[in-house]
Amino acid sequence: MFNKIKSHFATDDIEVKREDLYKVTIKRDRLFELITMLRNEFDYKTLNAITCTDWIEEGHFALSYMLTTLDRKHTFMVQTMINRENASMKTLSHACKQAQIMERDLHEMYGIDFIGNKNLKELSLENWVHTPPLRREFDTLEFVNNTLTFREGREDNVDTKVEMKRLRALKKAAKKAKEDAKAKELEDGK
Amino acid sequence: MEHNGFIQEQKTLEGDLNSETSHRNSVDYLMNWFRKQSIFVLAYGTGCGAIEMPPTFTSRYDAERLGIRGAATPRQADVIIVSGYCSYKTLRRIIRTYEQMSNPKYVLALGSCTVNGGMYWDSYNTIKKLEDYLPVDMYVNGCMPRPESILEGFIALQKEIGAGKATAWQKYEDNYEFYRKNQEAVLGKKVEPAYDTDWYLYDGGHNV
Repeated sequence: MFNKIKSHFATDDIEVKREDLYKVTIKRDRLFELITMLRNEFDYKTLNAITCTDWIEEGHFALSYMLTTLDRKHTFMVQTMINRENASMKTLSHACKQAQIMERDLHEMYGIDFIGNKNLKELSLENWVHTPPLRREFDTLEFVNNTLTFREGREDNVDTKVEMKRLRALKKAAKKAKEDAKAKELEDGK
Repeated sequence: MEHNGFIQEQKTLEGDLNSETSHRNSVDYLMNWFRKQSIFVLAYGTGCGAIEMPPTFTSRYDAERLGIRGAATPRQADVIIVSGYCSYKTLRRIIRTYEQMSNPKYVLALGSCTVNGGMYWDSYNTIKKLEDYLPVDMYVNGCMPRPESILEGFIALQKEIGAGKATAWQKYEDNYEFYRKNQEAVLGKKVEPAYDTDWYLYDGGHNV
């Protein structure tokens, strides 16, 4: 199988990640050809997931298509890189129906435009107008601090670390005082 | 010996005339007493706290002995339980449901997520303080609260209702602009339909 893929797609980039997981990286224009080949000629029939990794330093997204065999014992991970700016990709939903909702999810969370997908409506975020939340330039904490209000802490709220230190010191001092008193008592008794 | 049969009865109904609640008349007292004895809880759960509600209502903890039982639709319910974290998408549904409930209505908030975000304190998609968006009558803290705590919260709520203090629904009507502003800040301008206390007179508040 490896030889066939290597010769057919002119790539050496096949890794054996685990006993049950192979990974191949391929250019985006030949991706669907490879997926079709894996599905038709080999046993990798099921599209398990489409995942996206944000490589913000390199300036691209890594899209991974996970294909699983029918006995669910082996997975082939087909990865391709797409540009981060105006990210777009052709849809796989014509070949695999389950790709439709996976692509919809990726569109919502990363802002990737899947050309040909009929329904890219938002799935769990409604009326979201900010940066797609799973892109790494989206600063979650800043967003939360700007949009939502937190309850003010209790008036007797203390910093845990400082308080623990103080309590430990107090405990130590009390123990020492007790020991001193005991020693003194023993001396007096003598 | 004083002969005060009827007066004694009247006194029992009205309570101590020198107490804080003495301004309430006996009808109010009775109404509150009835309300507190039969609490219909909307069959609706958000977040992980929903899993604590079946044991509360079924035979082991048996909330029905306290007059607490389920209601199928918001129009028949007295209490809505917001059980746990509440994302924007859920909040929109909760607001819609709450506004459909008839007065008097009460909100019981479970778990630390409704108090201050809980473990979702830095989530972009979860509200932190429920009382900014809905008037909360009673908080039950814990992550998650056990059925015992939920029952305790219910009993505390019953006491408030009996004393006529659970008036958060009035607060919602009086400060509607405040709540609406907060709701729109997270949900966008599309929070429909517009809440109107006389909704049944108009076309859902659109053709007022």
